Amino acid sequence: MVPTPIPTRERLDEFKADLLNDTSPEAEILKNPDFFNVHNLFTVRDLFNARVHFGHKEGSLDDRMKPFIFGSRLGHIIFDLDKTAFYLRQALNITAHIAFREGVILMFNRNSQNAHLVEKTAFECGEYSHTRFWRGGIFTNANVQFNAVTRLPDLCIFFNTLNNVLAQHSGVKDSAKMAIPTIGIVDSNCNPNLITYPVPGNDDSPAAIELYCNLFKQAILRGKEKRKEMDAATKTQSEDR
Amino acid sequence: MASSRLEKIGTIFSRTTMLLRSGAMKLEDKPLWYDLYVAFPPQLEPRYDRPAPKMEIKQIFYEEDVIRAKYHKRVKNLGAVNLQDTNYQTQTQLFIEAYKHVKSQGALDEEQIIEVAQDIVRDKMKERSGSQKEPVGLVSSFTEATKESNRSTVDIKNIFE
Repeated sequence: MVPTPIPTRERLDEFKADLLNDTSPEAEILKNPDFFNVHNLFTVRDLFNARVHFGHKEGSLDDRMKPFIFGSRLGHIIFDLDKTAFYLRQALNITAHIAFREGVILMFNRNSQNAHLVEKTAFECGEYSHTRFWRGGIFTNANVQFNAVTRLPDLCIFFNTLNNVLAQHSGVKDSAKMAIPTIGIVDSNCNPNLITYPVPGNDDSPAAIELYCNLFKQAILRGKEKRKEMDAATKTQSEDR
Repeated sequence: MASSRLEKIGTIFSRTTMLLRSGAMKLEDKPLWYDLYVAFPPQLEPRYDRPAPKMEIKQIFYEEDVIRAKYHKRVKNLGAVNLQDTNYQTQTQLFIEAYKHVKSQGALDEEQIIEVAQDIVRDKMKERSGSQKEPVGLVSSFTEATKESNRSTVDIKNIFE
């Protein structure tokens, strides 16, 4: 199937050029490719030690995951960790920026083994998590479900994008519907298309999830800390005047 | 506030851009992530109908797989291996090393190389099991534990203070 021609890339280039010409302090922050120094949070060796490179068996491979894959070792998919590192750094950067702009971040995980870890991580960095059954309409019908005008999250982080019957989590579709950007750890049996910032990697091992949780927590905390620093700086400046 | 819920058309960015451009969404209602998306656009457009690339999955093989196969064909009884213990080489790793070593010296044919390498592995494994007698049993593990507890600096008497 040929995608319908929607000229978003060209438009994006225009906006990007506008951003580069902008000299406001906010634009200066965005022009920095790594404002929060998230690239030093992990190394490819850390990913390897946390078993991020292990995918599922070749039979369950989703064709859309092929560009992220290094190869197949005797029937087991192995991820290309250099690519994973690139995508993970971009995802961490976005997370830190969202936290810096005081956005609401929601973490998802439907694997019961890792659910507590994810909930704890969200709690520790002062954000939110959803690791239980996803009632349809939590995003799309929020005002009715919660009986009040509801602020939806500004970023959804999926530590696995499948639900417990190995179909795609409805939260992915609902986030796309409500125009909420998503970050998702996509294993070799997942569909990365609707995820805004997919991170190819193992989404089952507790060791891997622990690594991701730790990294996203640190990214969020860095973003929040920077916000505090800057607020304090502007406050002292205004007092001086 | 206007929004588009057609997640199968375009991307979240294209839909929001069009809403902003048509004036359905006001500029002050612009979502928080919008500028971030412009500054750090995703590598691949996150659209539902992005086709899967046509590419082959590379099969990962190593040179020593041939040697490994030869060894595994002869020796069926390899025993359990602790994958997290990287201090010791596994039996197969020892064999590959020995095989390469013997082969580099030349003079032997294939069968003989395997025979000699297998002997080397057998000797090494014997040596290892001889040197690796760990203290098991109730008395020895108790003495080990007391040694451990003597080393710790926690003062049990004042633990609640």
